[in-house]
This record gives sequence, structure tokens and C-alpha cells, in this order.
Amino acid sequence: MNRNNFLPHVALALVLILVAAFAGQLRRWQKQWKSQVRIIPAEKKHPATIDEIALTDSLHLGRPEILVRFKPGVSEETIDRITSQLNDRVEDRIENAPGLDAIDDLDNEDATELVAQYSKMPEVEYAEENYEISLPDAVEGPLVPVLPHDPQFSDQWALSNEGQRGGKKGADISAPLAWATTTGSDKVVVAVLDSGVDYNHADLVNNMWVRPANLPPYHDDDLGIIDDVNGFDAIDNSSDPMDDNGHGTHCAGIIGAEGSNDIGIAGVDWKVQIMPLKFMNAGGFGTTKDAIEAINYVIERKKAGVNVRIISASWGSTQKSRALEDIIRKAYEEGILFVAAAGNASTNNDRAPHFPSSYNVPNVVSVAALDRNDQLASFSNYGPKSVAIAAPGVDILSTWLGNEYEEKSGTSMATPVVAGVAALVLANEPGLTVDELKKKLLTSVDKLDSLNGKVTSGGRINAAKAVE
Amino acid sequence: MSLTKEDALSKAQKDLAKRLNVEESSIKEKSTDEVDFPDMALGAGTEDEMSGQMLTRGWRIRLDSAGKTFEYRADKNQVRLFNFKGKNYKI
Repeated sequence: MNRNNFLPHVALALVLILVAAFAGQLRRWQKQWKSQVRIIPAEKKHPATIDEIALTDSLHLGRPEILVRFKPGVSEETIDRITSQLNDRVEDRIENAPGLDAIDDLDNEDATELVAQYSKMPEVEYAEENYEISLPDAVEGPLVPVLPHDPQFSDQWALSNEGQRGGKKGADISAPLAWATTTGSDKVVVAVLDSGVDYNHADLVNNMWVRPANLPPYHDDDLGIIDDVNGFDAIDNSSDPMDDNGHGTHCAGIIGAEGSNDIGIAGVDWKVQIMPLKFMNAGGFGTTKDAIEAINYVIERKKAGVNVRIISASWGSTQKSRALEDIIRKAYEEGILFVAAAGNASTNNDRAPHFPSSYNVPNVVSVAALDRNDQLASFSNYGPKSVAIAAPGVDILSTWLGNEYEEKSGTSMATPVVAGVAALVLANEPGLTVDELKKKLLTSVDKLDSLNGKVTSGGRINAAKAVE
Repeated sequence: MSLTKEDALSKAQKDLAKRLNVEESSIKEKSTDEVDFPDMALGAGTEDEMSGQMLTRGWRIRLDSAGKTFEYRADKNQVRLFNFKGKNYKI
């Protein structure tokens, strides 16, 4: 190099260095900008339930982005050349999926067109839009029905009627939609006042009430101390409410057979605490006095701190008892809902009352039965003034003695459906008073022509509406 | 104890003979039909009795004595006399 050329060369070198430095800074700024874009958190969503994950393409962060899987053997240089020719850039290379690149388009081209463009290339195995996986808004968006994993769920038309066995699609309590909001709570205790409950049934055992260790055994001035670990038997005044008939076990399963446990059926509540009480014998009948004794037990347990909020009473007669009415009123004063069967004599309870469902006490909810076509069951009592609501009660599959399952019919079966929905409501809104709870149930119905002039609410209980 | 249809018929015949104070052999079976009763007291509840409101499969037994018909209701758990002089009875 001669001396005359030295200065121009130095000047040129300096210019090149400055240009390179500036270009490097530009790249750093670009990187920083990109990293900032990437860490912008997705819009915060409301909590959602399982099975609600949906794919949406509506929330891209301002630019189309696609995922392209290049064929094996296509080099990174080739990929860079292809993307560069299209004024795109590789934003990320997925290390564990060779050839899979996330590609940004710098022209803001439509993602669908971009996918089509890449899909045609011989180097490309496939291309697809980079959908954003999001949880739909549980408050503003539509709820997605939740189905349990129970092998006999498809036979439970009362919970989800798909028209099986000649039924009417949708003639059900909309349980799967309710379950998108709540599947119940083990903090809610429902007393099943009946022939006892087979508390060892595999589909019930995890949802049975057991006296908490810190709660002293039941004490009654007349009966003495009863070690009520599993509940109460008012026939023998003993601590073992084991069912020897099956009726109580059936009712308990309708309320709270454990849901999604891969066994048998699902209850209206997947999770709940069932307090078994026995006052009916192996024949399925009992005395008024023993019913009163059992209700008194529930009230005492409530006073002692047990969160027993509902009594399910799938029984009755045409005999009126002031004493039974009084104890049910006492239960009302303690905040306990009393759900009762309207009776199976096909008669009008307004004219020929059936008790306890016809007692004019604010916590009593009298329940009529519907068949799988939303028709009042042929056997069901009714009463536009005295029967509050209707629920499925024909061919109801539920738990039975000896780990079995049986289909049974009666307002006995409709009653625990309503009791179960009441427990779902309390799982969702534990602070409701008994009056509020009852109002919620009666205003959460699907009005039916078949019930017009038959029940006060004019409709079938709808669990999804009740937990809205 | 689980009653059969024959057990139920025999119990009903014995009960009616005793109530009417007649020879058991004079009680004739008119019919025995399998039916669904409206509740677990077989639609024949007694005073001060509550029963499960579940349809219950059983037998309607009609017996004849001296030209009069008497109705018994039974299932595997029980036998009842229906509407005898205006009242129901558990046997």
C-alpha cells in the first residue's frame, strides 16, 4: 500500500466499522423488541372448568404466525433462504421437533394464505396456523357441558336425556351444563331420611357423612349416648343406619353417587356428604314417631355445627300429624330445607293432601314425578297449590344393596333429584338462607305445558339454571 | 325372610279364616295377579305409618268367602289386608 492511498483506506475502514456497529445495534434493538413482544402476557381469563379448553384463532398478537414442518434433510440455510424470499423470518426453531419452525410474516399477510403458500412448497411437509390455545371466558362465554366418567351414565336419562329408549331429547335436568359450574361440595351435608343407606356401596362410600372426630357422639336425654359414627337408626335408636331394604340406598345414589369415578353412575352431586338416617324398616315403611326422632337428630346435629342443610324425604302417607309438622317447622327455623315426595296415588294434593309434602311450612318443597318424555308420570300426585315442582321419577337408575344398581320409579326418585340440585346450589352459594334456596329452586325450572295447572312452579327443575 | 306368591296366598287365607271365624278350607282363591302398587305399603298403609313412595311389584290376591270378596296385597316383604271394614291391616 502506498502512502497516498493510506488515508482514504483508513477513512473507508472507519466508515465500515461505524456502519457495522450501527447494524449490530439495530439487530440488538430488534431482538429486544421481539423479546418484549413475546413476554406480553396473554389476556387474563376467568377460571374455567375441565374440558373447556378450546382452540381459537381470534387472539393473535398483532401478526400472523404459522408453524411449518420442513421435510427431513432441508437445511436451515435453505429454510432461511425460503423465508427471506417471502419476506418472512424464522422466529423460533423447535429443538425437539427437527424441521419445525415458527415463522413470522413481516408483510402482515393473512395467516391462511401464508399456510397455503408454504403448503405448496416441495420442501414443506405441512404448514398450519399457530392457533392460540385459550380458556374460554367462564363468565361471559357459553359454558361447555361436562360429562362424567361413569360407565352407566348413558342410562341416566334424568341427568342427560339424549332420547335414549324412546325418550325426548332434552327432557332432563341439564346436569352436564350445571357441572360446568359446580359438581358439588363435600362441605354440604344432605340427610337421607329413609330406610338407611348402604354406606359401604362402592359408588357411595366416598360421599358418606362420617361424624367428625371433634364432634362428640349424639346425646339425647331419653335415648342416652349414641355413637353415631355413620348416622342414626331411629327404629332401634342405634348408631347403625345400614339399609336393609334398598330404597334409601337408591335415593342416596340419585343425590350423591360419586361422579366420574369409573364406577356405575353419577349422582346429581359428584361430591357431597350423605348423612344416612333410618326410620323405615326392611319392608319400606315406618312410624311417624321414628320419622320425628330422626328429624330431631338432624336438627341437633345442625346445632352442633354439622352443615346439614337439606333433608330428603321420599316417603309419606295421607295421615296428618301435627307433631311431624311441628318438627319440620323446627327444621325450617334451623335453616334446613325439607324436600318431600308428593305421593304416588295419581291424585290432586290440593284436595286430598299427602303428608309431609302438603304441610304448609316454608321449607317444604313438594315434588311430583316426570317420565322421560316430560309428561307427568301416570302415578304422580300433583297440585297447583300444594305441589311445588316436578323432576324425573320414572325408570331412574341408581345404587342398590350389595353394590348393585336398579331402575325404580316413584315420586321417591324425583325427590332426591331436587334435593341433589339444592345441594349443588349450596355448593355454589353456601350462604343462601333456606328461603333463598327454595326460591332459587322454584324459579330455576323449565316450564312445561304438561305441568300447567299441575305444580306451582309450572316446571321441571333445571340444575344448570339453579347454579347460574 | 322373602315371601313367595304361594307363601303370601297361604298367609292371606289363614288370616281371613281367622278374622271371619270360618274354616280355612272355605276360603277360595278368586285370583292372584302380579301388579305394581303405588308405594311400599302396597297402597294399603295403616294409621300412623309412613311408606316409601316407590312403585312396588307384588301380588293382588282376591279371596272369596261365602260369596264376598276380600283383597290382600303382598310382596316379598309383607302381606296386607286392604280396606277391610274401612281399614287396612298388616298381617
